[in-house]
Amino acid sequence: MAIATPPTPAAEARVERLEVMWQSRPGVLGWLMTTDHKRIGLLYFWTTLVLFGAGGIEAMLMRTQLIKPNNDLVSPETYDQLFTLHGLTMIFFFIIPMTTGAFGNYLIPLMIGARDMAFPRMNALSYWIFLASAIFLYTSLALGMAPNAGWFDYVPLANKTFTPGHNIDFYALAVIFNSIASTLTAGQFIVTILKSRAPGMSFNRMPLFCFAFLAASFGLLFALPPLSADNIFLFLDRNVGTHFFDPSHGGAALLWQHLFWIFGHPEVYILIVPAFGIATSIIPAFTQRKLVAFPLVAIAELLVVFIGFGVWAHHMFATGMSTTALIFFAGATSMVVIPSTIQVFAWCMSFVLGVARFKTPLLFIAGFIFMFVTGGLTGIMFVAIPFDQQVTDTYFIIAHFHYIIFGAAVFPIFGGMYYWFPKVTGKLYFERPGQISFWLIFAGTNLLFFPMHLVGLLGMPRRVYTYPGNLGWTTYNVIETIGGYLTLVGILVLFGNLVWSYLRAPAAGPDPWHGPTLEWVTSSPPPEYDFAVIPKVSSAYPNWDVEDREEDRRKLASGVLLLDQGHEQVEVTPVDGWLSRTVEMPHESPWPVLLALCLSLVFVMLLLQHFAIAGLMGILSLLTLLGWHSKEPQEA
Amino acid sequence: MALVPLSLLAAGCGKKQNALAPASHQSQDIATLFWWMTGVAAVGLGVVVALLLLAWIRSGRRGAGGDTQGAKPGERVGWYVVLTGGVLVPILLISALFVIGDVFVIRTTEAPAAGSTKRTILVIGHQWWWEVRYPGTSAVTANEIHIPARTPVRLEVRTADVIHSFWVPELNRKIDTLPGSTNEIELYADAVGRYRGDCAEFCGLQHAHMGIWVYADPPAKFAKWLARQSRPAAPPTGAQASAGRAAFLSGACANCHQIRGTSASSGVGPDLTHVADRETLGALTIPNTPSYLHDWIRNSQRFKPGNQMPSFNGLPEREIRDLVAYLEERK
Amino acid sequence: MSGYIASSVERPSKPAAWWGMVILISSEATLFGAFIGTYFYLRFRAPTWPPDGIPEPRVVVPLILVGVLLLSSIPMQLASNAARAGRLAATRLFVVAALVLQAGYFAYEVHDFSDQLKTFDISRDAYSSIYYVLLGADHAHVALGILFNLWLLAKLVRGLTTYRVHATQAIAWYWHAVNLLTLVVILTLLSAAIG
Repeated sequence: MAIATPPTPAAEARVERLEVMWQSRPGVLGWLMTTDHKRIGLLYFWTTLVLFGAGGIEAMLMRTQLIKPNNDLVSPETYDQLFTLHGLTMIFFFIIPMTTGAFGNYLIPLMIGARDMAFPRMNALSYWIFLASAIFLYTSLALGMAPNAGWFDYVPLANKTFTPGHNIDFYALAVIFNSIASTLTAGQFIVTILKSRAPGMSFNRMPLFCFAFLAASFGLLFALPPLSADNIFLFLDRNVGTHFFDPSHGGAALLWQHLFWIFGHPEVYILIVPAFGIATSIIPAFTQRKLVAFPLVAIAELLVVFIGFGVWAHHMFATGMSTTALIFFAGATSMVVIPSTIQVFAWCMSFVLGVARFKTPLLFIAGFIFMFVTGGLTGIMFVAIPFDQQVTDTYFIIAHFHYIIFGAAVFPIFGGMYYWFPKVTGKLYFERPGQISFWLIFAGTNLLFFPMHLVGLLGMPRRVYTYPGNLGWTTYNVIETIGGYLTLVGILVLFGNLVWSYLRAPAAGPDPWHGPTLEWVTSSPPPEYDFAVIPKVSSAYPNWDVEDREEDRRKLASGVLLLDQGHEQVEVTPVDGWLSRTVEMPHESPWPVLLALCLSLVFVMLLLQHFAIAGLMGILSLLTLLGWHSKEPQEA
Repeated sequence: MALVPLSLLAAGCGKKQNALAPASHQSQDIATLFWWMTGVAAVGLGVVVALLLLAWIRSGRRGAGGDTQGAKPGERVGWYVVLTGGVLVPILLISALFVIGDVFVIRTTEAPAAGSTKRTILVIGHQWWWEVRYPGTSAVTANEIHIPARTPVRLEVRTADVIHSFWVPELNRKIDTLPGSTNEIELYADAVGRYRGDCAEFCGLQHAHMGIWVYADPPAKFAKWLARQSRPAAPPTGAQASAGRAAFLSGACANCHQIRGTSASSGVGPDLTHVADRETLGALTIPNTPSYLHDWIRNSQRFKPGNQMPSFNGLPEREIRDLVAYLEERK
Repeated sequence: MSGYIASSVERPSKPAAWWGMVILISSEATLFGAFIGTYFYLRFRAPTWPPDGIPEPRVVVPLILVGVLLLSSIPMQLASNAARAGRLAATRLFVVAALVLQAGYFAYEVHDFSDQLKTFDISRDAYSSIYYVLLGADHAHVALGILFNLWLLAKLVRGLTTYRVHATQAIAWYWHAVNLLTLVVILTLLSAAIG
């Protein structure tokens, strides 16, 4: 049902009411106070793109430094900060906020037929905390003291003795700060997906996108606390003199690694599972067929995160743990492969059994499948412990995880940008340059990452700022650097195309792809209130259910489930999706950005070791929280 | 696409630090495992690529349109492929891999028990060099290990500071050095030769320049080498070397470097008793020649910026030449 | 499943606020899980625990105190029930009763905490590090709960609304979780007195 063409005068009047009620304040103030999930999604989108650029520059500087042996483009200090920031930025400040913050925020309410997230102000808070944590981290770079012990920051290198400067304090505090934003987002998605679905959308009728984001959200919820605990210990060891990691006083260096990887392994599934959600949205649209083995894929998406909590020590195979422990973790790692292989074949068979239209979004998904399988196969090789012990900490592992992360997370992100571009902007992107951008990026990333397998086997360790010229590594490094530049060109073409399309492309209409899910029901872009009528849902592909969409049009005319008495939204029962109650939603609010500001001050004071003032800022934050909860929805 | 560079690798672009040019049964087992896994993986990737190509061909023939949405054509076939390719075959292949790798091959690469070999060598990682000791003798050296060829040797690895990782790929897999504990690995070379290794755990500014040579010598040659390394320094011959010795002991050198048989006994930096016997300086950073040694003493920061040895630019040229003369005799 | 019903039949379910509190509790419980895991990891690597020079923890007094805190779950649950039944005076009474127990517990614990710091400092070794972080984190969560209760009382001055009923339910759950957590934390720390 396209709001653009309401059928009767009565319906038009109702839509007019909704438009007025849900209007945003104009200007900058409107953006600062927004709680609209679409605006928050867009804020995340642009912010993460800037950070993607930063991470990309870090990568290009490293690749350029490595183009020849004994190069001196950058000093070892700078190089160490570059590779640390590159990892931190791409993981915490690009992929997670882009998939969850941008795609998740914008699309989840639309896909479940809701008007907004369950806690709109907390959603805004997530964004402002995320932004603050990014600024906090990059301030360290501006001051020349960016973290420099790698994104997993092993102790004792990261403790005060060996890295006395503030670099690691920036690391610990930025990671804790950032994890607050992600935890809030995870909780938000879980509650929204469970409670805010349109009536009739029982659990098994949820789009696979929602299964994926639910899985990733549970992952974040349970994986982030161990990371925070680790960084609390690190901060205390460095600033208060505790001995968590100091063997001379009863501590243990491996304690850091265990807690880190208990977070770190689920994290890598959290990185790719939302991207799986994007892929399983694009495939049905461009094959015009429901996804093969839908129930298996839904379960697999949840299982891969769940099993992923039990495999962490496979990142520690070379640390000298007992053979029994090693074998346990190798066994658990074997199990986590199965949900992934299930999904790979389900995706491929959906391509084969539908009518595949290889437009740009589907090209990126085909590329994603190729890259993910390649990276996954080398991942399976690590089940063999002796082989892992030979190639871990070399360029072989860098190849593995970049095939996975770039291939299985970034390719779907790019595909998703093209797929939902018409929905968000109302314009249809230009197809030809889109395809060119895909092929450039595909060629570039393979040229960049494939040789890394070989040079790693030839003995090149990771995290080296330079290398000798007589070990046969030079040619591979040259090829990789060329691949990097080719990828850069492809990415520039991609964004250039999107910008040009925004400026010049023809209008897209509400549903250019005949997509399967509810976001294609609304106008492009959607109105502030998303849906005039909360949609009727009878299957997991609601936009293909023609009778239900007709019924929505009739409801608009008669006013049923219009919810126009305020900023209203439905709550349903979590499993079956029965209507439970109607709730009043908060609209715009200054409190989220104010609270984020107070929390920033807490972290800045902790960094400067002004602990008492940090405590005061904490109290200020609590007072802000008090203000936040001063007006109740019925009083608004 | 992958075959050309892989064959180049295997064809032996020389023994450098190449995991696929194994020189021990451990590395051989790992390399063999790798080739089998790569073969099977290539087939797996091929199946997926074939499916995508099939989709492309079919879509070309059938063209756009056609309302396939509700009907789910071929769903049965889809399930069969998903369950076979996605569940059954992976379970079989991965179980096989697990058994081969983690029940059988792991036995050869596991840490050797104490007393299981005739010789134990102690290696201590430092930022950014390797201390090498031979328990049972007074031999101490740095950045080079000598072992008798075709003889299993037990290596104990520790660290003096941060986590390092001892890795000589042609001989065995890597093992981390953890503060507060000792790890073990077996070193075995099936042929006389030298094998290169690197630190494989990021350990700070000069992680990139922390290499190590392992020399597998014929047993008689090894015994002679060990005996020589165990002896304290011989007295200097000639005036220049004597002046160099005096400069070494009275200057900053003795604060960090030990020369057994003299009053210099600090363990902060590498033992220099037999430094002239070593092939490189700075843990495989530069060759060990008089001219390089001269430049290293004057300004080691130029070759290895951030390393723990300060530059001695202020020293008079004559003094540096004396030191070089003295150290060149330390064989 | 016939799905959506055209009439406005509404089925009962827990409000979003309740789910939100469950999420918060899950996250914090996991954090404590990491702390407790750390405690035992460090413990089983140590030759003696507590290390030499640190006294074993007292057992009886801490257990009594935890008992006092656990008791406060009863008035909190009664407050939640009273709120849902619309009985304002009873709700206020039960929250005050809970607060008395909780504030009393907290005051004693603060006094005890600072006393212990004089016996052995946090920076002494790994035992003291995890001891004070684990205990301190628990006290912080009790303090936060007390603040929640004070806020709730202030809100209840002006009567009951759906919002305030949901808030009472959510805060009662918070207290059940914190009380259970405190029991687990204290038992963990007291385990040093065994063996």
